[in-house]
Amino acid sequence: MRYITVENLAKTFTVRKKREKGRLLREKTEVQALRGVSFSIERGELVGCIGPNGAGKSTTVKILSGILTPDGGMADVGGLTPWKDRRKHVRRIGVVFGQRTQLWWDVPIADSFSLLKDIYRVPDADFRRRRDELTEALNLGDLLRTPLRLLSLGQRMRSELCGSLLHGPELLFLDEPTIGLDAVSKLALRDFLKRENEKSGTTVLLTTHDMEDIAALCPRVMVLGHGSKLYDGALPALLSRYDTQRVMTLRYDGDVDFPALPEDCQVSREGDAFRVVYDHERIPTAHIMSLLQSAGPIREWTAQPQNVDHLIAAMYREMDL
Amino acid sequence: MDTLKLYWKSMGILMKSQLQYPASFVMQTIAQLVMEGGELLAVILIVDRFDSLNQWMPGDLYFFFGMMSVTFYLTEFLGRGVTGAFPSMVRSGQLDTLLLRPRGVLTQVLCSAIDPRRVACIAVGTAALILGSKMAGVEWTLLKALALSESILLGVMLVLGLFLIEAVLCIHSVKSVELTNALTYGGRSACQYPIDIFPRPLRVLFTVVAPFALTLHVPAAYILGKPLYGWPAWTAFVTPLAGAAAFWILYAVFQKAMKFYRSTGN
Repeated sequence: MRYITVENLAKTFTVRKKREKGRLLREKTEVQALRGVSFSIERGELVGCIGPNGAGKSTTVKILSGILTPDGGMADVGGLTPWKDRRKHVRRIGVVFGQRTQLWWDVPIADSFSLLKDIYRVPDADFRRRRDELTEALNLGDLLRTPLRLLSLGQRMRSELCGSLLHGPELLFLDEPTIGLDAVSKLALRDFLKRENEKSGTTVLLTTHDMEDIAALCPRVMVLGHGSKLYDGALPALLSRYDTQRVMTLRYDGDVDFPALPEDCQVSREGDAFRVVYDHERIPTAHIMSLLQSAGPIREWTAQPQNVDHLIAAMYREMDL
Repeated sequence: MDTLKLYWKSMGILMKSQLQYPASFVMQTIAQLVMEGGELLAVILIVDRFDSLNQWMPGDLYFFFGMMSVTFYLTEFLGRGVTGAFPSMVRSGQLDTLLLRPRGVLTQVLCSAIDPRRVACIAVGTAALILGSKMAGVEWTLLKALALSESILLGVMLVLGLFLIEAVLCIHSVKSVELTNALTYGGRSACQYPIDIFPRPLRVLFTVVAPFALTLHVPAAYILGKPLYGWPAWTAFVTPLAGAAAFWILYAVFQKAMKFYRSTGN
C-alpha cells in the first residue's frame, strides 16, 4: 500500500550574503535546495536516503515532516499534506535528529517522556505499555532518573529514539541517527530499528552519511544530489556499478625491486607492506599477480573490494556532485 | 484546559530540575534580590528628596512600583520561554523541533523554560505593594482586590506580548535587542512611576503603543483613591483590557511570522 507520494517537490532558499562595503542592501542569492523530486514509499518500507552535504536530504525531511512549506510540487503522507495539516500530521510521525536534541536538556528523561505523553495526548495505559517496552528494548531502565545532559551520546540517542516512538508513530524520520556513535551503540541502534520496523510495521525514512547504516537496514536507497533524485533502488545494484576497484596488500620475503605496474595502478608502501589499488575490469587480477610475482617470492597477500565510502565518493564524482 | 495542565506540569518539572542545584539557585536569587532592592531604593531616594511627585505621595509611588515589579517579574518567572529563551531557540534550530509536535508553538515555547530566581523580585514588588497601600491608607474592598488581580493578570499578557515583538523580529533574522528592550525593560523602568509625571511623547508611547498606563496605572490610581485624569471608577476595570488587546494583536503577528518561518526555512 502506498503511504508517501511525493511529486515534483521544489524548494528555493534565499540566502543573504554579508553586506559588502559601500552598499546599502545585502546581496541575495538563491539556492535551489530541491528541483522537482518525486518518489513514493510503501507502508512499512525502510528507505535510506544518501547524498553529499547540501544535496537536499534535510530539506526533504523537513518538508515531509511539516516544518517547511515547499515552493512547488505535492506531497501526500497517509492522506494528509504535511505542511497544510501540520498538527494532524505530526501526531502520526516521529523524528530523530542526530545532531539536535528534542528532549528537555536539564530534565530527567522519565520526566521528558511524561511531558511527551501529555503533548501527544497518549492515553495512560498505552503510554505505560509503550514506555516499558521501549525502555526495555533500548536498555534505558537505569537511566530514567538521569537528566539528559549527563548522558553519553549513545545513551542520549537511545533516549531520543525512545521519546520519538512513545506515541506510536506510523512514520519515523531519522536524520543521521548514528552520527558520532561508537561501534557497539551503532550496532544496537540498527538492531533496534530493524526489530521496531518488523514488529510495528513503522515506515522509516533514514538519511545518513554512514553507508553501513544503509547496508544494514535499508533494502532500498535513494541518492539525492544538487536537489534532484539521482538513483532509487537497491544498494548492491548501485554499488556494483562503481565496485570495480580492488585493493591488494602484499609482503615479500626480503627486499625486492618493486616491479613496474601499469599506469592506472596506485601503489603505496607502509613499512614492508605494499598496497596496490587497481581497476579489475581494466587490468585482470591475474596480470597484476604475475607482475608482482616476477619480482620475488611473496610471503602473504590479500585482495579486497574498495571500502564502501570510496565507492560512494566515486559515485558522487561521476554524478558530478 | 488540557493546555493549561501541560503548562503547569512543565513548570513543575522544570522547577524541580532547577532546584537540583540549591546553592547556585540561592546565590542567583540573592543577586536578583539585590538588583530589584536597588530599584526600590532608587524610588525611596526620589521620594525622600521631593516628598511628592505631582499629586502622588510616597505611599502611592511605592504602590505603583510594586504593581510594575510584580507584573513584570511574574511574566519573567512564568514566561521565561518567551522573555528569554526564544531567540536562542531560533538560532539553534530548536524551534524546528517544536513544529514536530501536535501543539501550538507559543504553548510549547512557554512550556520550555522557567526562571524561579525572579521570586526575589516578585517578593520586593509585593513588599512595595503592601508598604505602599499601608502608607497611602488604602481601604481594601472586594472591588479593589479584583481591580488589582485583573490589572496584574492583563499586565502579564501585555509584557508577554511586547516580548513577542522580539520573537517576531528574531524569526525574520533581525537582531533587535535594543529596539525591543526600549519597550519591555524601558517600559518597566519608566512605568514603575505613574504616567502623568512624563512629558507628552512618553505618555503617548506608554498609553497607545505599549499601554502600561491603561493596564497598570489606571487601576492603581483607582485603588489609591486618586483616579488618573479624574476618570470614573469603572474605567479601572475596562482600560486594562488594552493589555489583552495588545497581546492578541502581537500574537497574531507572531503567528504570521511563524508562517513566514515555515516558508523560508533556515
